[in-house]
Amino acid sequence: MPEKKIKCPSCGHVTTVNGNPGETVKVICPSCNGIGAYQFPDENISHSIDDSFSAISVVELTKKFGNIAAVESATFQIKKGEIFGFLGPNGAGKTTTIKALLGLLYPDKGEIRINGTEILSDEKKAKNQIGYLPEKVAFYDNLTALQNLMFYAEIKHVSKETCLPLLKEFGLEEAANKKVGAFSKGMTQRLGMARAVLGNPSILILDEPSSGLDPRGVVFIRERIKHMQEQGATVLVSSHILGEIQEMCDRVCIINKGKIVAVDKIDNLGSRLRLRPKIVILLQKMTDAVIKAVEKVNDVDHVQAKGTMLEVTCQASAKANVILAVVKAKGNIMNLQIREPSLEDVFMRFTEG
Amino acid sequence: MNISLLQHPILLVAKKEIMDNIRNKWILLMTGIFAALTLLVSYFGSLGQGWQDLGFTIAGMMTLVQYLIPIIGLMLGYSAIVGEIERGSLNALLSFPLKRIEVLIGKFIGLGGVLSVALLVGFGIAGIVIGANVSEVDVVQYISFLLASVLLGLVFVAISLLASSFFENRSTAMGMAVFLWFFFTMIWNLIIAGIAIASGGIDLMLSEGLPEWYYAVNIINPISAYGTLVSLNVGPVSASPIEDILSTPEFYSSWLMVAILLLWTILSLVLAYVFFKKRDL
Repeated sequence: MPEKKIKCPSCGHVTTVNGNPGETVKVICPSCNGIGAYQFPDENISHSIDDSFSAISVVELTKKFGNIAAVESATFQIKKGEIFGFLGPNGAGKTTTIKALLGLLYPDKGEIRINGTEILSDEKKAKNQIGYLPEKVAFYDNLTALQNLMFYAEIKHVSKETCLPLLKEFGLEEAANKKVGAFSKGMTQRLGMARAVLGNPSILILDEPSSGLDPRGVVFIRERIKHMQEQGATVLVSSHILGEIQEMCDRVCIINKGKIVAVDKIDNLGSRLRLRPKIVILLQKMTDAVIKAVEKVNDVDHVQAKGTMLEVTCQASAKANVILAVVKAKGNIMNLQIREPSLEDVFMRFTEG
Repeated sequence: MNISLLQHPILLVAKKEIMDNIRNKWILLMTGIFAALTLLVSYFGSLGQGWQDLGFTIAGMMTLVQYLIPIIGLMLGYSAIVGEIERGSLNALLSFPLKRIEVLIGKFIGLGGVLSVALLVGFGIAGIVIGANVSEVDVVQYISFLLASVLLGLVFVAISLLASSFFENRSTAMGMAVFLWFFFTMIWNLIIAGIAIASGGIDLMLSEGLPEWYYAVNIINPISAYGTLVSLNVGPVSASPIEDILSTPEFYSSWLMVAILLLWTILSLVLAYVFFKKRDL
């Protein structure tokens, strides 16, 4: 019976399934319990990776600069239509990975597929599906915004008529005929986003999309990214603004010192790390009775009193009981704050050391 | 998708380079320099005797042209690749569906086209003005000079693209471009003349002439090949005074000189592609 190794698009776990040629089998990931399906081809062809649901597939990517591995054996897949956060400290290998996705640098090892097309074997076909916003957004400074955009439109064989409406959409209508050299950082960033979405690519790769933008610009870009997703696009976002990633992304990938250390939904990563919510209670007066009552609540991990402030770390299910215990012990609550485990906590844990 | 030839990425990159040089007036400046140089040499080169014919004019300005075309070619292209890498615009460009070879060839066509147009228009206008003021005009002779000059320009644009693809930063590429100019215009001739004198002695050289290898090595230098090409078609002209007293050996021919110039262009572009292709951006 034919055998097939399938990589779970959610957690990256590789599992083996068996089936007859032409048969569709249900696949349950033993790691994350994700459910999927796989249809065996009529002929028994062995593939190392299943690309059918992947917009971007990276397998064993390794890139060294001298003796230093900027990226080492990185493997992850981005599902079609998802917003995928790509995180890591400075120098972790994010930009190297992104550049490899675009064929801008050559991996020492590994394979990258864009919608099933190997980037280095058919780079034009692969790149035709991508819109890219680099970390360092650069244009031809001696050309106007419109001239710049029209040049890129021609390269991508997109109608030049789409350029002016696009500039208008990104709030650059009045600056359309100004030279880009005179643009502010925020304006250049907006123009960079306009260039990235030229021709409605099916994949967007955005390196620090909010860089240099004012709060209104940040919200606009976030909404534009979500809009692209609604239209079916797949988005890879690399950002240091973790709140933004948490708000937008379906899954995240954390890279540290060139190695992928986590790929999953943020909630799943938090559970895997056993991260707990923290309840911060400000009391009118701190008493021993309150502290003891809280300590007795089931699933409370840690209790700490600082003056009139009580910090309680517990499982999510114990939150209500903690507050109830404080009230029952006659604690007069002045203020209450519940801090759920954040992407920042996840990030710090995965990148520590 | 059916796309017209004019929408081919190579021609789009070439068009951008040409438009850039039109916008920044470089093409106008170069055209003016070539026209003014030719007219000045023709009118003032004979110490007050008025307009000289085209053959005399070419001979009179060859030394300057042999210095000028290489440096302009090198300055046009030294930052074409490395400059865009430093600015970050090449990363953005190459994230679009086009290949590195298309960028390189597009830039060569664009920059080569800019220099060629400046040479043809500049020298052409001057040639028309001179032709209108002198009795004898050898058009074929002048056109062969124009085409040879275009070939020399293309050689140095290709060499500049090689430097631009090889070096890590713009300032190093510029330094190399200046060094190459010195090397081809001065150092090359000094070295081979020095070796010839050291190996045979100046007396032997004057009595029996230069050895065969000297002539062969001499024309490897594209500037010498250009000078020889013009000499063969127009009359004795050279940037190197020693060459004026030399008779040309039998194996010198226009086709050989054209082949050498084309070989320099092609070899430089192939090497530029090899370095550019394997470069991490």
